Amino acid sequence: MSVIVGVPVERPGAITSTLRRWGIRPRLRNLELLLLLLAAAALTVGWISLASQQAGRVTTGDPSVLMVYVGVLLVIHAAFVITGRRTDQVLLPVTGLLGGLSLLLMARLPQGLATQDLGSITLGLAPLQLFWLGLALAVLAVLAIVVRNDDWLRAYKYTWAAVGIGLLLLVFVLGDPTNGARLSLRIGPIAGQPSELLKVILVVFLAGYLAENRTLLARASTRLGPISVPPLPYLLPMLGMWGIALAVVIVQRDLGAALLFFSVFLTLVYVATRRRAYVILGLALFLAGATALYFLFGHVRTRVDIWLDPYVDPLGSGYQVIHALYSFGRGGILGTGLGAGLPAVSGTPGDLPAIHTDFVFAALAEELGMLGALAILALYGVIAERGLRIAVQAADDFRALLAVGLTMVIVIQAALIMGGNLKLVPLTGITLPFVSYGGSSLLANAIIVGLLLALSDRGVEPPPPPSPRRRFLSRGGSR
Amino acid sequence: MDYFTLTIWLVRIGFVICLYLFFFVLLRALWRDLRATVAASGRSLGRLVVVASPEGMPQAGSSIPLDAITSLGRDVNNSITVDDAFVSAEHAVLTFRGRAWYLEDRGSTNGTYLNGQRIQGVVPLGYGDELQLGQVRLRLERERTS
Amino acid sequence: MSDLLGRSDPAVVPTIGSALLRLGVALALVFTGLGLGLGYWQVVQAETLTTDPGNPLVQAAVRAAPRGRILDASGEEVAVNVRGPNGERLRSYPRPAMAPVVGYQSLIFGTSGVERAYDAELTGLKPLGPGGDMVRKFLPDPYDPSDLHLSVDVRLQEAAMAALGDQRGAVVAIEPSTGRVLALASSPTFDPNLLVDPAGGQAYLDSLRGQRASPLLERATQGLYVPGSVFKIVTAIAGLGSGAIRPDTTYATQPAEYFDGFRVEGFSIRDSPREFQTDDPLDLIEATEVSSNIYFAHVGLDTGPEAMLDWAARLGFGSPIDFDLPTAPSQVTNGDGPLFGFTDRVELANAAYGQGETLVTPLQMALVAACVANDGLLLRPTLVDRLVAESGRTRTVEPAVVRRVSSAGDAEVITQAMVTAVEGEFGQSFTGGAKVPGVTTAGKSGTAEVGDVARPHSWFIGFAPAEEPRIAIAVIVERAGTGRDVAVPMGGDLMELYLSLID
Repeated sequence: MSVIVGVPVERPGAITSTLRRWGIRPRLRNLELLLLLLAAAALTVGWISLASQQAGRVTTGDPSVLMVYVGVLLVIHAAFVITGRRTDQVLLPVTGLLGGLSLLLMARLPQGLATQDLGSITLGLAPLQLFWLGLALAVLAVLAIVVRNDDWLRAYKYTWAAVGIGLLLLVFVLGDPTNGARLSLRIGPIAGQPSELLKVILVVFLAGYLAENRTLLARASTRLGPISVPPLPYLLPMLGMWGIALAVVIVQRDLGAALLFFSVFLTLVYVATRRRAYVILGLALFLAGATALYFLFGHVRTRVDIWLDPYVDPLGSGYQVIHALYSFGRGGILGTGLGAGLPAVSGTPGDLPAIHTDFVFAALAEELGMLGALAILALYGVIAERGLRIAVQAADDFRALLAVGLTMVIVIQAALIMGGNLKLVPLTGITLPFVSYGGSSLLANAIIVGLLLALSDRGVEPPPPPSPRRRFLSRGGSR
Repeated sequence: MDYFTLTIWLVRIGFVICLYLFFFVLLRALWRDLRATVAASGRSLGRLVVVASPEGMPQAGSSIPLDAITSLGRDVNNSITVDDAFVSAEHAVLTFRGRAWYLEDRGSTNGTYLNGQRIQGVVPLGYGDELQLGQVRLRLERERTS
Repeated sequence: MSDLLGRSDPAVVPTIGSALLRLGVALALVFTGLGLGLGYWQVVQAETLTTDPGNPLVQAAVRAAPRGRILDASGEEVAVNVRGPNGERLRSYPRPAMAPVVGYQSLIFGTSGVERAYDAELTGLKPLGPGGDMVRKFLPDPYDPSDLHLSVDVRLQEAAMAALGDQRGAVVAIEPSTGRVLALASSPTFDPNLLVDPAGGQAYLDSLRGQRASPLLERATQGLYVPGSVFKIVTAIAGLGSGAIRPDTTYATQPAEYFDGFRVEGFSIRDSPREFQTDDPLDLIEATEVSSNIYFAHVGLDTGPEAMLDWAARLGFGSPIDFDLPTAPSQVTNGDGPLFGFTDRVELANAAYGQGETLVTPLQMALVAACVANDGLLLRPTLVDRLVAESGRTRTVEPAVVRRVSSAGDAEVITQAMVTAVEGEFGQSFTGGAKVPGVTTAGKSGTAEVGDVARPHSWFIGFAPAEEPRIAIAVIVERAGTGRDVAVPMGGDLMELYLSLID
């Protein structure tokens, strides 16, 4: 793994020449800086709004959490500038703004929703989320700066797949059953949700597998009745994927993760082959699986029934969904204002169970109104746009598929949980990336954005030349 | 309406304005980026920027658009004629294959360097990489309009 | 943008770029869908959600905000706030006779009546003006409770309740030119003060539920009664409106049928015996005056089942009436027969004089009277004149036309028939008791047979003054005897009282 050493720039100054001696070539990132400053300004105004609303007088409150957070963002920006990576300048501010909105919400919710004892002091919701955000952003920055080569992902895709399945099995066996769902794994004092990491590993494997085989998958076909389908051996991974998704639902009882895995998988297969047959086949498998699960498993049936009509049991299983809708309604167009949402009105904090994980979107939509909620929606839209652009500009298929897959993990997660909050799709227990409370989710999503940033760098090592086999199968190596 | 209520109003409106200002700047940047890419894609796959050329052919600072196969050398039959004492007649060739550029030395006397290292056989290169033939240094860049 | 997505690249089997474009479009659709979802819940459904009784916001507002008062047409308080023994906010109802209109608001049992229909306005959750919701979001105290000014006149209401007394029945009075409901009495009723009492409320409710007279039933809007002869006005509207009859239409066989019975498929229809009988056939006005079943059975058969249903539907039959309180739909037939819902022509002939499978609510019959009084134009009945919010915002409820039922000419003919029924030489003996002294009075009595043993329902509908009607009224007293004996004088007295009140 060789590191591209910067070549001299035209007018070296004293500092730059010193840095150059260490192989570092600073590069200004004005757009990123401007966007970060705007985001910081917005968050500051939001913080004042929240603190004033809560105090009943105009005040900035205790801005330390926000200041630390903005500081972290600026340090990362500085690191990007100094190391001179030519990475995307939009993703960091967008991620940063989402994380900042998350902090505003966490600071506003009852701090007792999540606590961590550290000997003499106890950290509440907002400081904990700040800690995880900081850690996640650090991981993001390190990945974006250090990764200059994708061999470690490309070459070992089956190893990664094995690691992923191993993680899954580990959770099956050792998982901590909470609310009937085996999601978290506890090793010593650290509890994490490996399925979050599994999302990333899965995309790495699929990108590698599809990049290698996509020509075959796209061309070869067997006729099955009126439709032409690819030969059976190539369908096995699809069936395997379907099996994993089913297993996740049945054993882990995690409907959201299964939906996410399967939709990311279908998207990648479509992008790699552009064959509708796969999508139709995949959807057929999905419908068959979903129908069977609906009739076989109570927890799946409950979710779907609540979705269809939450008013059947308004005080029990439908409670969350109905109250999320109330939140949207109360928010209206302009919102109630930060800190003025329902818990302040009724004096019953935590009116909505899981408000800090599953219902952050409803909570923000109540306090920021439709204008704020649309802004959040647009932030994920921008992430999607950047991800697809990175894929378009990627040097080869593996990188393109990796970029698409990683982007889709974030976008589909966001769409599923926002749709669930809005009662457009059944509610599943997945997180809103960068906004929901939770360390595992933040770290996994930060890894994704970090990798996307690394992929976006036009200066990273070029991929290896096409292998002879691929050259043979493609229509010709060059035009 | 009292002072506090009014201030809260203004702060809340300010928050929304800040959010949308962020989007305004962001969308403007994305739009420019998109236009640049659309415009660039119609033109060429990339260009070589001449970083240093002691003998003035090609001229330092000039930018040369690239075809999918671009040969470099002292001979006038090359796509890019590099008139330098240390450059061979048929020195090197740049090819765009699949999705990336590759550089190959064509058996030159003094060799071809990529980012300061002499190359052996076919090597891939990315935008921003610098290649050197004799005393002439060239940087591969993406085509852009703005 | 497709060209940058790889077509210019030397292509490998379908390029990834072209699929990315489609993916981008799909994602754009998904995000648009989410945006529309937001718009649906946060704009379209926002008001429904924020005023849903299950919303904690509503429950908080009920506890926190003072509730608006309810006043009658003359500004008399009929529902106010008091403090309970433990300092909690309770409703008090100084005029319990208003219970059938106002209902109750109890911390335990929720709301009913106008208290329920206008709950959001009374608590102030629902802003009165357009755009009020957006402004409200910026107010420190978002609640703007409204006082409710009813159209009901508490004096008329109390007189109606007193007239009904211990009997079961209902009175509905409407101002024909506006649709304002002047009285809406149901008997027996309940005392809302006892119901909202936190200590004894449950026991009182249990005792109400135990009573066979079902005092919690809103007879005026939800009680379904056999109408008897008052339904002949509906048949007249349908016959004239459809062109099946004219005011001078007569049936040559009718005088003979008075003695022999009018045979429809073997079933014999008879008029009640009357002392005066000529050999000349009756026309519409004379038939109304003497309330001839035979004549109206002929009209019904000539009009036909389809037109009968059609014109009744124009008056509001067949579906719940658009009203502030829940209403039961009135019916001409129960609709399970082969003849447009009628079993046969016998049922149609019986329905035409109100004795088939016909069931009506008192409110529906009051609307029939009001419609005739208002020259054939049916107006939406309203209970509330205006809402005045604490902030001073006011919303006035304007009269709303439902539809034109009859031409002014037809309405004039029917008015004349109803005036003759009260004031005519022969009519006087049936309906003369409704005459308001010094005022031309229109009316129609009814005696609705319900089974062979029980006494009939006593009905009256009418309006006064006939030239420029100020009040239209429907009175039903259950199992009280003939219309002439009970409902007719009660309707006349109440109209007389109201006309004297507004002078």
